[in-house]
Amino acid sequence: MDVDKRMSLKDAVAKFIHDGDVVYYGGFQIMVPMALTHEIIRQKKRHLTTIESSTDVGGLDLMVGAGCVSQIHSAWIMNWYVKAPYAVRRAFNNGHLKRYDISNFGATTAMMAGFMGVPFMPILGNIGSDMQKHNTTDLRVIEDPFTGNKVNVVRAWRADVAIIHAQKADRLGNVISYGTRGVTDEFGANGAKRGVIVTAEEIVEPEVTRTDPDRVIVPYFKTLAVVHCPYGAHPSACRGYYGLDIRFSQYQGKYERYEELLPHFLDEWVYGCKDQEAYIEKYKSKFGQAGLDLLKPKLGFAPSPKLGVDYGYHDPTCWKGVPLYTDDRLKAFEEALAAKGGK
Amino acid sequence: MADYKLTELMTIRAAKEIADGEVVFIGVGLPIMVAAYAFATHAPNMIMLTEGGAIRATPPQALAITVDDPAAFLGGDATFGMLATMAALQRGEVDLAFLGAAQIDKYGNLNSTGAGDWSKKESFTYFAGSGGANDMATSGKRTVTIIPQDKKKFVETCEYITTPGYLTGPGAREALGMQGGGPDCVISTMGVYRFDEDTKEMYLAEFFPGQSVEKIRAACAWDLKVSPNVVETTVPTEEDLKILRSLDPTGFYLG
Repeated sequence: MDVDKRMSLKDAVAKFIHDGDVVYYGGFQIMVPMALTHEIIRQKKRHLTTIESSTDVGGLDLMVGAGCVSQIHSAWIMNWYVKAPYAVRRAFNNGHLKRYDISNFGATTAMMAGFMGVPFMPILGNIGSDMQKHNTTDLRVIEDPFTGNKVNVVRAWRADVAIIHAQKADRLGNVISYGTRGVTDEFGANGAKRGVIVTAEEIVEPEVTRTDPDRVIVPYFKTLAVVHCPYGAHPSACRGYYGLDIRFSQYQGKYERYEELLPHFLDEWVYGCKDQEAYIEKYKSKFGQAGLDLLKPKLGFAPSPKLGVDYGYHDPTCWKGVPLYTDDRLKAFEEALAAKGGK
Repeated sequence: MADYKLTELMTIRAAKEIADGEVVFIGVGLPIMVAAYAFATHAPNMIMLTEGGAIRATPPQALAITVDDPAAFLGGDATFGMLATMAALQRGEVDLAFLGAAQIDKYGNLNSTGAGDWSKKESFTYFAGSGGANDMATSGKRTVTIIPQDKKKFVETCEYITTPGYLTGPGAREALGMQGGGPDCVISTMGVYRFDEDTKEMYLAEFFPGQSVEKIRAACAWDLKVSPNVVETTVPTEEDLKILRSLDPTGFYLG
């Protein structure tokens, strides 16, 4: 059946993400679904619960800072380039956010159980830690029915809907991802009850997908919406397309850090941009085409000619000598802070 | 004497903990340099696993800045997801895992979740969380922790135990059925620590050049024990530094 699932970012989020949903948040330190993050913020979705194993570059931090998320099940939330998840920290302190902590493999196992449709699964880690003590929602110790020994188990996690970014997808919804396959995208996405929203750098014909089905991580029948979205993971990396934008992550991170600054970032980069294309145009007008050019990967690695697959990699030595990104507002804020003796 | 940076001393010292042929689990940050240096010197046959799922018999040919950076996979031996490398941990196949944290206590327990009392939500300062550290420390045969040292980081008891060391002391890991052996070594910005076989308490084994036992004890919140055989850490040679710097020509990790 040839059902065309392509739609706009706006329509995909409006149609398939509802207030109160459990959302699988894709990616890790790369392939973070940032365009979808921005659209969820724009549409002011509320009371979401997120599940994922680990997430970097502050995407989830922004979504929490914008008031979209009330519960997080995670092993690691970070904007590595400012060394903390500041909005998450504030929301936890204010009582607006519940956090359920678990180890990386605990989270992976929880999503694998969801993927497999079983209620829980044994896990060796977490035992004896304070995560086990405080997160009984996800972690329990039971008796192994075979040996009588104690065994730690983790509850299955299943999202209502998954949001992920991939290199390619076809109109039917087959999702093509390669290089590393994210960390848990196969489990988190396929385990979603209603299905998956994918943003992709490129749309290919289903006939092209079928030349290399090994690389499909979500089959079409699980997919709700396909959004063509170049730079959909920026400032995180997308293998073969662009590297991590360290300077932008640092810039965004400074806004995440201060409660009074964050709304300005959201106004300028999220609410002030109608879609991802507008966001990239904004980027170019502020930091120039040169900023995007710095992200170009070195290609020529493991190409698959039929699918046009090239993993590529980005050389981070390009950042040497590149000054930190800033703007007048941030400069004024930092000067005022320094004058008060803060840092 | 060769002129070197603290990060260089720490990297070269940490690499010595890797024996040739071992299966080593590498996290983000300095351990990537530790592994690259070990490959290039005394441990050409080590097997490198990353949390992002790379399995390598050779060091990354390009500088990898995250554990799932394409550069970590370039020219590698196998590309899996996190499932495959972390499953190898649970199967008991990982000899050594490198860890980092915000706090360490005298039994080698680590805190990377936050500062303060978790149940007092208004004042708890969240850090990133466990990541894979808890899994590595539960199931890796032994661990080496690399951590900056001061009195707020070297505490009597961690405010939140994210990652188990020897927990409350002798027998605690065994009582919970943990297969991993626990902490073997800690490398701080001041010295190198081991753990007493009987008490499981951390003690000072080496101090870095320019440090002293007194200074180090003053930067530790508990009554730190010191090995009767405590020695100054051997300084890197010109040759050691030449090899290390060739692996990070722009100083991305080493400064």
